[in-house]
Amino acid sequence: MKVRDMRGLVLPLLMVGAWEYASRQGAAGAYAFVPLAQVASAMAELLGSGELLINLWASLTRTCTGLGVGIVGGIGLGALMALCGPANRLIAPLFHALRQVPMLGWIPLIALWLGNGESAKLLIVSLAALYPMVLNTFESRRQVEGQHREAAQVLMLSRWQQLRLILLPAAVPGIAAGVLQALAFAWVTSVGSELFLSSGAGLGSLMMNAEAAARMEIIIVCVLCIGLSGYLMSWLCTLLSRRLLRWRPNR
Amino acid sequence: MRLLSPLSWLISPLALLTLWALVAKAGLFPVNLLVPPLEVWHSFAELLATGELQEHLSGSLSRLALGFAGGSLAGLAFGTALALSKTLEAYCAPLFHTLRQIPSIALIPMFVLLFGVDETFKVVIVAKTAFFPVALATCEGVRAIPRSHFEVAAVYRLRWTTLVGRIALPAAVPAIVTGVRVALTRAWVVLVACELLAADSGLGQMIEMARQMLRIDVVMVGVVVTGVIGFTLDFGLRRLERRLSNWQSR
Repeated sequence: MKVRDMRGLVLPLLMVGAWEYASRQGAAGAYAFVPLAQVASAMAELLGSGELLINLWASLTRTCTGLGVGIVGGIGLGALMALCGPANRLIAPLFHALRQVPMLGWIPLIALWLGNGESAKLLIVSLAALYPMVLNTFESRRQVEGQHREAAQVLMLSRWQQLRLILLPAAVPGIAAGVLQALAFAWVTSVGSELFLSSGAGLGSLMMNAEAAARMEIIIVCVLCIGLSGYLMSWLCTLLSRRLLRWRPNR
Repeated sequence: MRLLSPLSWLISPLALLTLWALVAKAGLFPVNLLVPPLEVWHSFAELLATGELQEHLSGSLSRLALGFAGGSLAGLAFGTALALSKTLEAYCAPLFHTLRQIPSIALIPMFVLLFGVDETFKVVIVAKTAFFPVALATCEGVRAIPRSHFEVAAVYRLRWTTLVGRIALPAAVPAIVTGVRVALTRAWVVLVACELLAADSGLGQMIEMARQMLRIDVVMVGVVVTGVIGFTLDFGLRRLERRLSNWQSR
């Protein structure tokens, strides 16, 4: 096991080495491949001035707010579509048509209508979180077991009791899976929207400004930060859903 | 009611269209902010007639084809190798799974600095986007081939070509096609995003230029065309997917 772990490190170290080597090949190399020491000092500088934390915090808050809106709206809309046939007929065609447009494709249009401030970004992130939530909530009605349905009929449960005791618990795992997807979408879209509408705080705006100033080291710090936070958030979310779904019999 | 049911799907899109036309006509919003649907249609026709739309579209699609072909073929090769070789897995898997976590969109500024704003950067980023899902799906698809299949092949002393063509490929292909579908959808999104940020041609650039000139009608045409292309790509591969995995349910 120990040896195996070491082997996984060979390639990353080689890449870092090649990067450092390329950075020493004249001015052109140092422009694109910044030396590692510079990346480290940029990291220290961004952390020291609090710039990284402010922008990270802005991106995270936006992601969480958008995710919250998307989750609530998505569960509501998905449940409505799953439980009420006519509503499904009315909403589904529009929903699936609008869903085909890539999230970032909406940005120019939304920016024209709402400007490039916080509300436009929040709308885009919420929409990105909404789609997977609606789909997963809608699909999870199939997860209801036939036996449970029959039991509900035998016990003559009212519609409300059916919803509370049978449909909702059956839908929870599907919804949890939806939240995990929605989180990933919301995070990517949040950063993406900041790249386009690079006013205000956010990791994307920080990167865009760094690109304009050709400061590769800041971009690298941002990319690392984005990857790491995305990974940590989905890890936390998985942990949480596993804990909340303990009651489920293992299938 | 039952007779009407196939048509009832059309109610809400038509209602939205009518509402849009009415609100635009009523003049609640300035015309340059809420363009009437008919005018959007006219600009679509105009863009088609002048050939502008086709030009941008072919620019975007050829980038997509080039980058996607490169990325997915590399992903296919790498995924297969990763599934078959324990040594390669030990060396490459940790790096592979780490890099997989980084969203392509976040890499755009970095790639711009590395490759410039020209064609290379877009093709590379499309290839990168396509590579990871295809490699992952291929790796899992190849790994999921039951061992017993190989044992049967050994018992029957099948030739290598028969083993790959008749046993390994049919077993792994459905998973791979699913990966390819995911990769293609993502690659399209990322390409349009790249063109919005930095390009001299392509659908994204058309939208961005129109946005800067406040031509909402052209922006809308672009958004709709982007959606239609994305849908068509996904739909085509979904059909293929269903076709290739037909034998499984039997």
